[in-house]
Amino acid sequence: MFKNLFNPKVKPEGKEPRRLWLDLGDLGDLVNPAGPHEQWQDHGMGLLRTILHQNGVMTDMFSTRQCTSWEEVEKRMKGYDMLIMNVRSYTFPVAYRSAQIFKKVNPKGIVLTGGMHATVALDEMLAVPEFDKICQGPGENVIVNLVSNPDAFPRVILGVGVKSMADWPMVDRTLWPEPASKKLAAKFNWPLEPECGWGPPPVATILTSRVCPWQCAFCNENSYIPNMGRRPVDMVIEELNYLDETFGPIGSVVIHDSMFFQNPSWLEEWVDKYPKYANKTWPYWAAARADTVRQWPDLFEAIVRKTNWSTVSIGFESGSDRVLKILNKECTEEDNYFAIDLLTRIGDEMEAKGQKPPVFWSNIMLGIPGETREDAFKTMRMLKYTKRIMPSISFYAPYPGSVLGHQIIAEGKSLMSKENYHRYPDDEKVKGIDYQFYRDLLSGKYDDEVSRGLASIRQQRVDFWDALAKA
Amino acid sequence: MSSFSNPHYMYLFDMKNGKKKLAYGQSPEDALEILSYRLTEEEMAQIIADKYIKVNQRQLQAYVNELG
Repeated sequence: MFKNLFNPKVKPEGKEPRRLWLDLGDLGDLVNPAGPHEQWQDHGMGLLRTILHQNGVMTDMFSTRQCTSWEEVEKRMKGYDMLIMNVRSYTFPVAYRSAQIFKKVNPKGIVLTGGMHATVALDEMLAVPEFDKICQGPGENVIVNLVSNPDAFPRVILGVGVKSMADWPMVDRTLWPEPASKKLAAKFNWPLEPECGWGPPPVATILTSRVCPWQCAFCNENSYIPNMGRRPVDMVIEELNYLDETFGPIGSVVIHDSMFFQNPSWLEEWVDKYPKYANKTWPYWAAARADTVRQWPDLFEAIVRKTNWSTVSIGFESGSDRVLKILNKECTEEDNYFAIDLLTRIGDEMEAKGQKPPVFWSNIMLGIPGETREDAFKTMRMLKYTKRIMPSISFYAPYPGSVLGHQIIAEGKSLMSKENYHRYPDDEKVKGIDYQFYRDLLSGKYDDEVSRGLASIRQQRVDFWDALAKA
Repeated sequence: MSSFSNPHYMYLFDMKNGKKKLAYGQSPEDALEILSYRLTEEEMAQIIADKYIKVNQRQLQAYVNELG
């Protein structure tokens, strides 16, 4: 549907420039990855390359994740006229270094950048002279013209998105990078994706909505990307069925939306149609908020039971009202426990019928400025209280672009820099935080305090150190 | 306190050193209380409690360089 929509104003004459799209990530993540999440594919890159190729603007592609050394990256970059990168805060160091290497081996080449970091931390992007063009915001409606004729644009470009995800083409997943080792390829299921512990492989990742409209102080993506219409339920199911028939059979689905459980009318249609029209009611991972579960409990229960929502991702973040307020989560301890109790009851009933019970996947933050030891104990107590949960714990990171991140940086308290915007969850990220306390907490040193008031069955300690995961 | 019953708003307070401090809560008073959870008394004393503007989430970028 996007074909010919853009009509590049100036078509290059003569020989087409050699364009390279560089997928970004840590070296070796598609060779011998440390964990499953490093292998996720970039939907933004997939979408934009699909749009480019459907409009006849061809790009080659490789990933830093497919390389095991910077020498290999340099070797594969030689001979290109253009480098295109989708830069996120945690891939900024890789993008920065890649641009320097690209300019070294292709001195006349041009570097085009975009992505979330360009939007939330323009100053840092502007400080990199190798970034010739920087596109802020969504790029769907500008990418063809920009790549076809970059000289017609200023250095900083305000991207143009579409009004609805219904206008997005289906991502051509064969434009994603392949696993770069035989061992990884054997279990990757490319162009579908590998198992990550949330459901059986092959995994199909998909987006149904874009941007969470809440304003959590650690994220705040809604500040930058305008609201856009959700992808119609029929299109989501159609894409899943296509993937199942073309590359499958699909084992499970990951709905990558920042916030799946919103927009009740869409969700009601999903409950009705997904079990009826999908080739199979594949189990899936998708995200909610504790307060949306509390607001629409019947709808939540219906979706869990009828659509095989097997892994419910809720960013509980903290078990303390004080900290939830510092994070501007706009959820309370009570909201968290309401959601926990509801899913536990549903799970118990399903288990009693011989069905697999749903589980929580939950982002949990520790080391938040202002968090007291008792706050941290309450968070760990909430985790122990929860019967079925896969926690993903990380130390708070003051990313630029987020409200709290901006403020912490301005106060001179951030330990993060453009050289280390990565996602290693156990890094020390804020001055004045007693990280040794948190390491001890995760290692079980304070289990007596954490277990205070919990039923004995809940006191069995889990090794939460392993739950420190790349966020 | 959920977002449905008690929505939060963002406030930009003037500071005595000419910078601005970003805070959020149900009201300016609530926002200052939340801020006090993580700032020292000395840091809080820098904030001029009755000089603030309510800002839209989408306007925040314009003030980033004024934060302190």
